[in-house]
Order: sequence, then structure tokens, then C-alpha cells
Amino acid sequence: MKVTFPYMGPVLAYKKLLEAVGHEVIMPQKPTQGTFDLATKYSPEFLCFPFKCLMGTYIEALEAGAEAIVTTGGDDNCRAGFYAEVHRRILASLGYNVQFFVIESLFKHPRDFIGSIRDLKGKYSWWHALGTIHFCYDLIAAMDRIQERIRILRAHEKNKGDFTRAWRDIEELFDTCYDRQDVRETEKKAWKILHSVPVELWDPKQAMRIGIVGEIYVTMEGHANQEIEETLAAMGVEVVNSQYVSHWLKQRLQILPWRKSHMEKIIAKAKPYLKLDLGGHEQENIAHMIDYWEKGLDGVIHLMPFACMPELVTQSIIPRISKDLGMPIVSLALDEQRGTANIQTRLEAFLDLAMGKKIRRAGVPGLAAR
Amino acid sequence: MKVGLPRALLFYYYDPLWQAFFHALDIETVTSGATTPHIVDNGVRNSVAEICVPIKIFCGHVVELLATDVDAVFIPRMITVEERKRFCPKFLGLPDMMRYTVPGLEGRLLDPDIQCRQESLADAQDYESLAKMLGKSGREVKRAFAVASEQWEVFRRYHRSGMNIDEAMAALNKKENPVYEPPKNEKRLTIAVLGYVYNIYDSFVGMDIIKKLRLMGADVVTFEMLDDGSVAEKLQRYSKTTPWTFTNKLLGAGYDFFEDPKIDGMIHVTAFGCGPDSMLGRLLEFIAVDHGKPFMTIRVDEHTGEAHLSTRVEAFTDMLRRKKFPVR
Repeated sequence: MKVTFPYMGPVLAYKKLLEAVGHEVIMPQKPTQGTFDLATKYSPEFLCFPFKCLMGTYIEALEAGAEAIVTTGGDDNCRAGFYAEVHRRILASLGYNVQFFVIESLFKHPRDFIGSIRDLKGKYSWWHALGTIHFCYDLIAAMDRIQERIRILRAHEKNKGDFTRAWRDIEELFDTCYDRQDVRETEKKAWKILHSVPVELWDPKQAMRIGIVGEIYVTMEGHANQEIEETLAAMGVEVVNSQYVSHWLKQRLQILPWRKSHMEKIIAKAKPYLKLDLGGHEQENIAHMIDYWEKGLDGVIHLMPFACMPELVTQSIIPRISKDLGMPIVSLALDEQRGTANIQTRLEAFLDLAMGKKIRRAGVPGLAAR
Repeated sequence: MKVGLPRALLFYYYDPLWQAFFHALDIETVTSGATTPHIVDNGVRNSVAEICVPIKIFCGHVVELLATDVDAVFIPRMITVEERKRFCPKFLGLPDMMRYTVPGLEGRLLDPDIQCRQESLADAQDYESLAKMLGKSGREVKRAFAVASEQWEVFRRYHRSGMNIDEAMAALNKKENPVYEPPKNEKRLTIAVLGYVYNIYDSFVGMDIIKKLRLMGADVVTFEMLDDGSVAEKLQRYSKTTPWTFTNKLLGAGYDFFEDPKIDGMIHVTAFGCGPDSMLGRLLEFIAVDHGKPFMTIRVDEHTGEAHLSTRVEAFTDMLRRKKFPVR
């Protein structure tokens, strides 16, 4: 069957996963202006931006021949858990005959979860399916580790765009992996490529380092946040991103109860500000903000889609967190408007402020002269 | 102790319950007045720009209450009142949001967690923490809950007999209910008005849409007049329903109304920036097309111009009337 999936995070790994169980994959294309135009045309006006992005990519993939869509469900009270139901109806009303595979939460709906995996794996054995999932997890984790490093290094590249090009090469290398051994070897090669990119020498004490937190889709996807990471890198700012698919998977699929993820260790920091998990990443985001400040980062950028329900609660609490910690935090709402001047201006103002704070906080004399 | 109850959000659904609850505990309550432009202004000033209007209005009412001599403002954290469904994230985070955005609320906030399986809150478990907040014993709080849910069941029975919330509230308080006299009109219509209680019954936001419709010779039905059982039944065709309690009620009620031959058309009243409604609205549109019934969405916000609402409601009723009583 020709399948497609949302364009989010390491799409390469999803492709590998589905190909391994005998599906033909129609790769979703990175959303462009055309995608957003399609998306806003067929989505309800006040639905959140990620929904619209998916709508656009789905239509493009269906036009390219896809017959089925694999996506995640969930029954937290964020709208994302109900996306598939609405997408399904809208696509049907547009005349697309499409099958949906909605992967539900493993622990809350084990039967649905196993059912959807069984439908997807078809004639292949469970052993093969589990092995493939393990391989894809390794692949995602390896790619995430490299991206994490690129986010720091990119601020210091000698020739603009070198790391973006290097990342493209690395992705191509990973595309040739077929088992976990391949992943290990490719990761070694990838690190070599990364280290061969020329960088300026820099003093880690003086470099600005900013954390990015927020709703997972707009935080991870450059096309959804107007390539904020590249904009920051161009200003010489190192970026620490809080959202990685491998972290998310690790948290969702964690079976060993005695193993605690990094998140579980820091989540307590968010409790005084927000008592409950609201169904999105808001508690995690607050915990990350506090954790980043304690780790010595110079500020945090909070990204959310316009009118995101859980993140609006975070946004309401941010002024207080910022005041309590003395940390510069800026909250940006994103939607299909593509004008760049707003974000550019606000980022510049924010970085000026964060720089002032850094000088006072660290008391580095060399910085004051800059 | 004097407790302030903001007249906003679920106030319209749960007020009789909380009134009876505090009365049974011998605690004086103060309810903020009807929403005014001043309250809305205060709300807008104290909340983030993008958040939905009902939350802004709630914020305004909290500010209003803090200016009086109440000892605490009652903002329950409504988590769940039925199995497997929860409230919108903004309700879950409401006390936290208010604490950190409204100056002066810290220390004067009463925020019990409400986590029940029955809408009447009759099976509330967590008496102790609320008792501690109120300075009462757990047993007293338990008894108060029992009294309160009984009172609320009476309120719901009034609804099911066909009263809307304003009328049921008046009946409950044994007030003279202004007897609603339908204007003499042979060509009567029945219109379903679908929307959250805090949009329809807040006369600032909802601009008295029910009264307006009645003046035009239409009988109005709303979701709270339906039996919960029948609403749940309508949703069985879904493999998965929306995660939010009231959105589901409206979706089920939507099916009920569209399938009911007595109902001529439906109006969905939604607030600007409402997350669940962005999905519900589209689902209702699809159902309307399936059933071939007229359906209109009215989006309300903090603006006060009534002309747009009147015009659209008039046009809608005219259209329905022409459809139902064709002129040859």
C-alpha cells in the first residue's frame, strides 16, 4: 500500500519503518507557501497551525498517489489527539478515498495500539516489526544527537550554510542504513563530517546560548517557525532545543519503571507554577525553562502556534517565571503569516536584553567591551 | 469567612450547586455582578492577548471580586466530571493562570481540585484538602457536597422539563419567573441554539440571543434541555469522541437536534479563539450538510456592537420561515 505520514521530525526513520514492513512510501514534502495556501483553504479558521500544516502535506501527498496516512492519536485534552478524526472527515468531503492508521497511546489503549501495529505490519512477523522499531528508534536517536550538536556549532560556522549542507549529506548517509550495526557505523562517519566543517574559534564563556521550548511541532520544524534556529545562528547564538522525537518516544515507550528520564527528574520544578499536566508539553516547558536557567543558559524563546490551548496557559505564567528567575523569556505565537520582520525585530530586541543580563550575571569584563 | 464566586465560565451551570454547598457550610458567598464593559476591560488588561474571551471575562470578574472585602475567590480546578473526558486545558490551568496574572490573588485563592465521575459531584472524594482550605471538618464538607448535589439535580430536572438556565435558576430561587409569552405569530419556528453556557447566558457576550430569537417568533431549545443519556447515545457512532466534556455534549446535542424533525434550524454560538469549538464547528457543518438543515455560526468576542448579531439572526429566521411556510 502507498502510505504517507506527517512531515515532522526525522521523517527518514518513519520511511524506513514503513518500508521494512512492505509498504511503498510517498514521502511528505517539506511544507512551502503552496502547502500553507492549500492548508488554510481547507482547514477551519481557528484550528491550530500544526493541524493546517498536516492538512496541506496530506493533500500534497494524496495528489502524489498516497492511499493511506499513518499518524498518531492520543486522548490527552490537546486538540492534537483528535486531529485524525477531523482530517479524515475533511479529506473525505474533498473526495479523497484515504485510509487512516492512527497509532494510539501504548499504555492507555494497548489494544488499539497493538491493533494498529498489526494492521500496518501485515504479513511480517512480530519479531521483525519489533526489530524494525528498535532499529528506527536507534536511527532517530543518532540523528537527534547530531542535530543537537549542530545547533551549538552552527553559531560559529566560518561559511554560512556549511552545517545545513553537512546535515543534508549526513541525512543521505543515514538513508543507506538497514540495521542497527549500520546506524552505529554511520553515526561515526557523521561525526567525522561534522568535525571537518570549518568553525571560528570561540570562547564558550562569551557565547550566547538560548533555549527553545514550546509546542512540539513548531519547535521542531523550521518551516513552521520561520527557521528561527538559523536566524539565531546567523546572529551568533547557540541554540538548545527542548523537543526531540527520540526524547518523546523514550518517555512514551519507557517500560522499565526504575529508569527515570531526564524529564521525570526535572518536572518537579514546574509544579509550583502549574499543578497539573494539561495534555500538551506545558509542564515540561516550564521545567525546561527553569532547568535551562540553572544550567546557565542566557534566555529562553517560547514558541507556540496561535491559540494553542495548553501553551496559552504557559504563556500566561511566563511573565511570573521570568520575574521570579530574572531570566529573559520571549513568547512567540506562530501561524501561516509568513512575514519575517516581526520575529526578526523581536528576536533582536530580546537578544540585546539577554546580552545585557549575561554581562551583569557573569560579570565577564571581556563581554562588556563587545 | 466570605467567599467570592465569579459570575463567569461554569458559574451558569454549577452556581446552584456551589451556593447550596457554601450555604450548608454556613459560609457567606458574594457573587460578582453581571458582566459589564468595565469588567471586560479589566479582564483584557490582566490576561494574555490571544486567550479566548470567556477566560478574559472570568479574569475581569476575579479582579472585580478582589476589590470587595471577600476573604477568598473560589476558582475550582475543574478536571473531570465524567469518565475518560476532561475539561479544556484552560480550565485545568485556570487557578494557576489566575494566580500568576491577577495581582493580589495569591493568598486569597480557593482552588480545590474537582475530579469526579458524576456531573453532580456527588462522588467527590477529596474532602480533606477542601475542608482544610475552608477550616471545616471533612465530615461537614462531605455532608455539604451531598446537599449541594441534590439541589443541583433539582436544577437539572428543571432543565429537562424545557427551561433554559435563566428560567431554571429563577425557578430554583422560587422567584417569580417572568412568564414568557410568545408573540402572536402563526408561523412559529423552533431553533436550536448550541453553545457553551458561558457564551449564551452571559448577556454581554451572547447579547441575549435567546430573547432576540423569541421576539422574532421562534421557540428556542438548548443542549441542557436534553437528557444526558440520549446525548451519549448519539455519539456511539464515533470510534473516538472529542476529549472535552462539554464539547461532547454539544456534539451529541447537535445530532439530536439535526435528527429532530421539529427543529427548523440551528445556530452555533462560539467565542473568538475557542479551541474545542474550532473542531466542533466543522463537525457540525458536516452533520448539517448530511441532514440538509440550515446551520449558522455566530462568533462572539469582547466587542459590543449588537447590530451584526441582530442582522444575522433576523436574516436566519426569515430564511427559515420562508423555507417552512413557502409563499406561492
